[in-house]
Amino acid sequence: MIQNYKWFLVTLLISVNLHGQVKLTVNTIPKKVNVKLDGVIIGKSPIKNERIRPGVHKIEIVKAGFAPLTYDLLVNPSQAVHLDFFLNPIYRIKFKTEEKGLVFELNGEHQWDNQFIRLDLEAGDHFLRVFKLNEIIDEQTIHVDEPKKFIYYLQKPVSEE
Amino acid sequence: MNKLPKYFLFLLLGTLYSSNLDPTFLVLNHFDRSLPHADSSLIENFSNSIFEFDSTFHLLFEDIDDYENPAASYMNTIKELGKKHKVNFILFNQIKHVDDRFMLEGQLFNTRSGGLIYRRKIDLMNYLNGQINELNMWVGNVTGSIDDKWQKNRESILFRDPEDIKQEKTPLGAAMRSLVAPGWGQVYSGKKVSARVWVGTESALSLAILISFLKYDEAVKSYLANLTLYNDTDDEKEVADYRAKAESDWDDHVKFSQLAIAFAGATGTGWVANSIHAWIVGPRPYKNIYQKWDPKSPNKTG
Repeated sequence: MIQNYKWFLVTLLISVNLHGQVKLTVNTIPKKVNVKLDGVIIGKSPIKNERIRPGVHKIEIVKAGFAPLTYDLLVNPSQAVHLDFFLNPIYRIKFKTEEKGLVFELNGEHQWDNQFIRLDLEAGDHFLRVFKLNEIIDEQTIHVDEPKKFIYYLQKPVSEE
Repeated sequence: MNKLPKYFLFLLLGTLYSSNLDPTFLVLNHFDRSLPHADSSLIENFSNSIFEFDSTFHLLFEDIDDYENPAASYMNTIKELGKKHKVNFILFNQIKHVDDRFMLEGQLFNTRSGGLIYRRKIDLMNYLNGQINELNMWVGNVTGSIDDKWQKNRESILFRDPEDIKQEKTPLGAAMRSLVAPGWGQVYSGKKVSARVWVGTESALSLAILISFLKYDEAVKSYLANLTLYNDTDDEKEVADYRAKAESDWDDHVKFSQLAIAFAGATGTGWVANSIHAWIVGPRPYKNIYQKWDPKSPNKTG
């Protein structure tokens, strides 16, 4: 009788615990990426039917070669949540110039005056600003879509004009 | 309608029937821009659907996260809509555009309880027919019929995985070719001048090996002939003559042997160097960037 009572309590506890939890599905591109929920790895994507409690949660997606993603998720009661994450790759970029005395600035943050540097850049558009003697002499957007080398010139060769 | 003057209000009310026993859906689409092919795409891809239109309904367009209890905010309305259209579920899709991105929010309500049971938010960079594709994926996800081509279409706009990027021509390919035939890797990389230099150098060195070997062979044969003649004669003058010739042949055979070895070493080293050079100058993706502004122009816009 006591054992049956215990089983009843356990079942009740599990039911109460499961009730009010929300189904979470996480898909990522690329797949097989570690998914962290509130700092704990819950598995590799795709994650299906993971149960989470309503409230605010932090989801982190990290994969080598891709920009890490952190996402604050507000989970409402009585709903299933399906999340799709698209990870943006990071490409190894070389930047070279034969010109002297130039200072380059990328995205208003990173500056360098070397004639050759290597950069790890997230795929997409980046804003390049060029300075000479503390004056801006050029501004343009560079598109990063694969690991490649950018060679900066002040003048286009006559043959290419 | 008056509450959303900026939006192109497009409500698509439809009921998707797969059979009498399957769940039925009322679909409400709300887009901030005209998506003229959205309805036809849904009709085409979910062939068991019947659609009707209603432009008066706008309650669900507000952000439900503003409510204290978002999942149950529209219980009565959902129940009423369910009764009116005789459906099990209400599927609400909203698409908003921000710069070059669009956000699709899908909400699935149960008309029996009136509660929100499933929600999906997608924040994605714009791509060709992306909104329609994402709408199909979301509706397909709910109805359990996703077409692989939608997934592939979505993936096609994403940047490639660095591990999947395969260059048509690679430095390693150039190096291997130059290892097989000097200059081939340089030709493969489009460096015709250096290809000619390597072919010329390696050909000259190979020719020098051949000449040295032939001279060495000739010196050996001559030495053996003179040695035989030297052994066969008793004439003092001939003995001295054959001896001098044999000694000269011996010196020549040593000299040409050393030369052949030296040229062979130089050829081998050059061969490897040519392969390394081919790797260094090998084809790598690059892009030239030229100053966009025209320094002579007052407005510097180039």
